Amino acid sequence: MVQQLTSGERQNALIILLCVFVAGLAMAAAGGSDPLGMHGVIVMLFGASLGALVMRSYYDRQPDPDRLSHYYDDPIKAGVALTLAWAIFGMFMGVWTAAQLAWPDLSFDAGWSTFGRLRPTHTTGVIFGFGGNALIATSFHVVQRTSRARLAGQVSPWFVLLGFNLFCILAVTGYFMGVTQSKEYAEAEWYADLWLVVVWVTYFVLFLRTIARRKEPHIYVANWYYMAFIVVVAILHIVNNLALPISFGQAKSYTIWAGVQDSMVQWWYGHNAVAFFLTAGFLAMLYYYLPVRAQRPIFSYRLSILSFWGITFFYMWAGSHHLHYTALPHWVQNLGMTFSVMLLVPSWASAGNALLTLNGAWHRVRDDATLRFIFVAAVFYGLSTFEGSFMAIRPVNALSHYTDWTVGHVHAGALGWVAFITFGSIYTLVPSLWKRERMYSPALVEVHFWLAVAGTLIYVFSMWNSGILQGLMWRTYTQEGTLAYSFLDSLVAMYPYYIARACGGLLFLLGAIVAAYNIWMTVRAVPASAAERQSDVPDTGLAPGAAATPAE
Amino acid sequence: MAELFHRKLERTAIGFVVAIIAAASVGGIVEIAPLFTIHTTVEEAPDMRVYTPLELAGRNIYIREGCYACHSQMIRTLRDEVERYGPYSLAVESKYDRPMLWGSKRTGPDLARVGGKYSDFWHVAHLNNPRDVVPESNMPAYRFLARTALDTGDLQRHLRAQQALGVPYTDAMIANAASDAFGQAAPDSPFAAGVTERYGEKTQVSAFDGVVTQLTEMDALVAYLQVLGRLTDAAYSNTAAPEQAPDPTN
Amino acid sequence: MDIDHDTLVGFAKSWGLFYFIAFSVCVMIYAFWPSNRKKFDDAKRNILDRDDRPWQ
Ligand code: HEM
Ligand code: HEM
Repeated sequence: MVQQLTSGERQNALIILLCVFVAGLAMAAAGGSDPLGMHGVIVMLFGASLGALVMRSYYDRQPDPDRLSHYYDDPIKAGVALTLAWAIFGMFMGVWTAAQLAWPDLSFDAGWSTFGRLRPTHTTGVIFGFGGNALIATSFHVVQRTSRARLAGQVSPWFVLLGFNLFCILAVTGYFMGVTQSKEYAEAEWYADLWLVVVWVTYFVLFLRTIARRKEPHIYVANWYYMAFIVVVAILHIVNNLALPISFGQAKSYTIWAGVQDSMVQWWYGHNAVAFFLTAGFLAMLYYYLPVRAQRPIFSYRLSILSFWGITFFYMWAGSHHLHYTALPHWVQNLGMTFSVMLLVPSWASAGNALLTLNGAWHRVRDDATLRFIFVAAVFYGLSTFEGSFMAIRPVNALSHYTDWTVGHVHAGALGWVAFITFGSIYTLVPSLWKRERMYSPALVEVHFWLAVAGTLIYVFSMWNSGILQGLMWRTYTQEGTLAYSFLDSLVAMYPYYIARACGGLLFLLGAIVAAYNIWMTVRAVPASAAERQSDVPDTGLAPGAAATPAE
Repeated sequence: MAELFHRKLERTAIGFVVAIIAAASVGGIVEIAPLFTIHTTVEEAPDMRVYTPLELAGRNIYIREGCYACHSQMIRTLRDEVERYGPYSLAVESKYDRPMLWGSKRTGPDLARVGGKYSDFWHVAHLNNPRDVVPESNMPAYRFLARTALDTGDLQRHLRAQQALGVPYTDAMIANAASDAFGQAAPDSPFAAGVTERYGEKTQVSAFDGVVTQLTEMDALVAYLQVLGRLTDAAYSNTAAPEQAPDPTN
Repeated sequence: MDIDHDTLVGFAKSWGLFYFIAFSVCVMIYAFWPSNRKKFDDAKRNILDRDDRPWQ
């Protein structure tokens, strides 16, 4: 990977890593025994080990001057490997927390392993670690192919990818130590947030410059979604995380938003993290990898434009449906409800567009597990957006809010939509990136598919059951007009479902492990037709995480 | 015309970004901006007090341990919630909360009005091992809290940061932060009087974890749990709730 | 602030609605403008081309 950089670029990389190291040193010095100091040490280690990696190949041969006439795929390969690593970590934490709800002593009497600290490691691990790396890797792939231009930078793609992973590492290690802002999906503290701003601005500039280089006159719609994802996440992140640290040597900060305002800012962020992190970016994958895999153009390009602007416009209004019947003013709740219901139109337009693209190619869906991943993702996208719009209606939310129904909805979206589209995209991407004819074992893709389907269905159905049961028990009255069940009664009723959910999650995790094995073997296998391909693009025979051989 | 305009936008990718921002930002502005004038229409609570240093430290432990992941602090305006947990929550009650801890999931019950509902002793036993007092509970055990001394060294900084953000902590409160934290958990010590003097007669001063010689994280967390819902009585006078205000002297 | 809450809420609601209508009209015009048709058709087919090098 370093071999693809010229000596000037290697120098720049070293300077950046030195800055990272020095920043870590400053944090360690200022923080001392505070968790901030610990994070300083982690940052130093991160900078130093990558620095060593660059140094090792510093005097290697210069890259082929011809490299600029090829696509830049090394960061994408590393991104795929990181996606899988985070998937396994994040889903393992999901299974562990799920098991803790059924068997609470699984925290082994330590502070770092209690449910409250582990839960954000799961959500951050899967959303940012797994989802975020998948988004960065696929966006680098899609933007180059659809623009027919190489990424507009040699070092900056690495900076974006690895810098983002440093953010994830700081966030997750922080939760184990109890460092958290407690804002859902924005738990990381102020210094990690500042770092993410730097990384994200670089990402934005890189993406924009690559698009500006495009040879196609029109910007393909998938890039619109990636662009919206990048831009809006930046806005959300900055506004929601405005905070005052108690000192520059300590991790703790207080948010500038208080009470009701904070609740609205938090859920404006929270809901749009769903919209622009877990939806827009993954729709971009859908609009590229679905047509490519099915070898059919998207059913209606116009519809994709209309739904793009619909989603971009509507989502931002919907956050207040997380705050129905609370102390938030009524008119805001009603606005949120109205727009959430309207959101169904662009959402179903996207899901329908995907399914109609497949219409006429059903035999492929039947035979090709990868395409089936994408198909199931579109179905679950339609399902979870319908469910979401339904749950946003005030009287329905009165029942569903605070219960496992929300968790069921989340995972219908997260497993059924986000994870399925990601695996479908990765299975499409991996053979083409590494120049293999196909995956190492199509049978294992099939196994993964059924593990994932079974896991998702068990998870979602047990949470729908437990959630609705819980909601009904809380509001059931006896004939005398008193509440029929204590809170504890409702908790006792949950145990069977919590056990079922942990089992479903375990199946899903096993599927992800099978995927990682299959991809690893694909990468290791000897390229099917290395000889013919040579004219196309230099074959690097690369393993994830391993160093590349210089381009020929 | 519109077409020409849009085509140009799309050619220059920057214009496209501006269009995305234009589409996406309205919703947030419309819904969030008016919340800053909300004080002109919502209830006032002149009796509202700020968290004592010990309670604030307890609140930060509540955040650190992720209690908000399973417990909400927001009673909705629904009959069954009001009957189960007490009068519904008012906006004013969380006006000093940075961040708010309304929560989104009730694996355990709502805690917005748990203050005064149980004794200190019950809380300590429960936090040490929830299954000792509630056999069916799936809450984790927090034994280490009683073993861990509370760090009072930086409480002044916490209060000062809050003051900078507009929470009405006085300079005297900031200056005495550490001794007030100690005094609130040591009723017979000379430091106890300062707490009620600065934070009001209703402030609960007691040996929360039963040991007065050492100030632990358990003291702080229990002090925080005992003040939940009791910073102001506004919710009891403003709503047709069936409940009486909890007795602050229990 | 001297603008009171109700004015702000009223303005927010009505202005938001007009903005939304104007916005959707623009998007509709763009999507259905006849001369854009070819561009869209090209876009949706071009991504299926099998070539694996940036264009020079
Ligand atoms: C192996 C599979 C998984 C298991 C066993 C699992 C388990 C869990 C558990 C136990 C919780 C806590 C629920 C609670 O507090 O009651 C949770 C929350 C959550 N998980 Fe997962 N999860 C899995 C996969 C995923 C994936 C792939 C994603 C996202 C891409 C995801 C996103 C979330 C989110 C966003 C929440 C927070 C939900 C909320 O606040 O309502 N999970 N998960
Ligand atoms: C039209 C689209 C959608 C609408 C209107 C919608 C609406 C909702 C509603 C009403 C809630 C419950 C809020 C509460 O009672 O606390 C919710 C929660 C949630 N939804 Fe959706 N949803 C949509 C699509 C999705 C998709 C596609 C995903 C995921 C990948 C998703 C992820 C989540 C998450 C993570 C939460 C939990 C937030 C929390 O409490 O921590 N949603 N959504």
